Amino acid sequence: MTAGKRGVRRTLRKATICLMTLALSSAPVLAQAPARVMSLNLCTDQLAMALAAPGQLTSISLLSRDPSLSAMHEEAETYPVNHGRAEEVFLEKPDLVVTGTYSLHNTTGLLKRLGFRVEEFSFIQTVETIPDDIRRMGALLGQDARAEAMAKGFEAELSQIESRQCGKQPTAIAFEQGGVAAGSGTLADSALAAAGFRNLAAEAGIAGMAPMPIELIVPQKPDVIITRAGEEDQPSLGAKVPYHPALRALEGTRIGPFVPRGTWSCGGPFTMEAVRALASLREDIAPCGETR
Amino acid sequence: MRPAVLNIILGLLMLALFVASMAVGPAELGISESVRGLFAGGGEAAGIIMREIRLPRALLGLGIGFTLGISGAVLQGFLRNPLAEPGIIGVSAMAAFGAVLIFYSGLAGSTLYALPAGALLGAVVAVLLLLALAARSGSTLTLILAGVALSSLSAALTSLVLNLSPNPFASYEIIFWLLGSLKDRSMEHVWLALPLMAAGWLLIALSGRAIDALSLGEEAAASLGIHMKRTRLLIVMGTALGVGAATAVAGTIGFVGLVVPHLIRPLTNRLPSRLLLPAGLGGAVLLLAADVAVRLVLPAGELNVGVLTALIGAPFFLWLVVRSRREVFYAA
Repeated sequence: MTAGKRGVRRTLRKATICLMTLALSSAPVLAQAPARVMSLNLCTDQLAMALAAPGQLTSISLLSRDPSLSAMHEEAETYPVNHGRAEEVFLEKPDLVVTGTYSLHNTTGLLKRLGFRVEEFSFIQTVETIPDDIRRMGALLGQDARAEAMAKGFEAELSQIESRQCGKQPTAIAFEQGGVAAGSGTLADSALAAAGFRNLAAEAGIAGMAPMPIELIVPQKPDVIITRAGEEDQPSLGAKVPYHPALRALEGTRIGPFVPRGTWSCGGPFTMEAVRALASLREDIAPCGETR
Repeated sequence: MRPAVLNIILGLLMLALFVASMAVGPAELGISESVRGLFAGGGEAAGIIMREIRLPRALLGLGIGFTLGISGAVLQGFLRNPLAEPGIIGVSAMAAFGAVLIFYSGLAGSTLYALPAGALLGAVVAVLLLLALAARSGSTLTLILAGVALSSLSAALTSLVLNLSPNPFASYEIIFWLLGSLKDRSMEHVWLALPLMAAGWLLIALSGRAIDALSLGEEAAASLGIHMKRTRLLIVMGTALGVGAATAVAGTIGFVGLVVPHLIRPLTNRLPSRLLLPAGLGGAVLLLAADVAVRLVLPAGELNVGVLTALIGAPFFLWLVVRSRREVFYAA
């Protein structure tokens, strides 16, 4: 049932992408790559850092330096940072601004009225949308070849990992902050599926990010509870929720930050590290054995 | 009503609501399943839900409600002020600020013990500040205004600390600290808070004779052999221990200590000491009932229990102000 639905969804998505590509290819080709690009959003920051030519990316958002959110926080230290304010864009006068559709609606509108070229990326990302996000960023930055290679590599490794699945599907719940679980349609959900896990939050009917009561998790006895990595030195009450004694009392449930920090806050080439880590965890819990 | 009868009725009501609190939750467990889960050991899901999720929640509802009720009663008696209550005079808010400051700064690692340590410190500072103010002027209004200022300041500082936290999600926890909740508490929280709260009840109970004498005025109390310094110390430490521990594990839950003593006082002989136990029991009844209600009204999102107590308590507070307006303004 779910597999069928997923298949339909994937076909639909592919059709949409084909249409989008058609629309894009019929648009007038840009004369040359923008020389000065500014990114205002954590997710576009990381895509741009991965693809831009030296000196092309003039500044990125402050959050990309946060190690708990940004997989590329070390690289982010080498760029100037902005705070997503329209004034900063005005002073910097970039040829292109890249940002997310979710954050900074007002800023984006203002910038467009002021005549800046703004490209928005959807905040709804899954492992299946990442290759096309990479290609789109590559096209915008004039780095098509580099982006195509990166996207191809991602797709190849993704299908290689997906092909390693073997029937046994351990169950998992991925917690973000404070008892909020990743449901269907999220990046975490797609990474879990690619690695061969069943996402109990999505099966419980949670769409997007929503709180999942501990009482409902206990009877399901998940094999794995994934917590946010990198909170050890940043105390919060929310970080303690996945370690509630009721969940620790479940025998055979592993609780921990199994995914390298920052790798699935945003979709990007680094998200493969999350999928890889999950796939090896899945093989550790439910080895395929002779059936493979 | 005779004191024993009143206490028995309130005690039975409290037990009934304790059982109700154990029976309500998103996992729909049958009665026999719940009872078996509670008393049989082992790793059955029903057992874990009852013992590790619902029992601590009900115990904390009872203990925190009792603390807030008895603290409200003793403060109203001691300060001879009908509007005194740990929430309104800023003790809860300062306790929350203390807990937030020590926990989120990471000074004590991420251990839960940082919470009561900080909260007790905050509560002691608040009570001492207020007593210093109230001692200088006996007016009802001074104390309440000082409490309002202290509450606002502490709430602002709490928000500031949470916004400055290195954890990008800490700011989501502002609502927990300003409008408390009993969601997702565990036995760890019970062991952390209950002994401290019980110590607070004991200290408050020891001050009973003194607050009776104080209702005749300070000089009359002194002539009856009441040691003012000792009484003050008992009440400061008792309230700070109780309210500090309660706030450390459940955030700021307001108005319970205000509403309950007023509802119950007409049923007693109006001696302040006779109000302490029934006010504690009544506080437990009110908080347990409110905590059951928040789980029934919005099962999915779950309202913070502090929202509900404020919805009940704030209009009550206004009514008290209107009723005692004349007295308040004369005193000012």
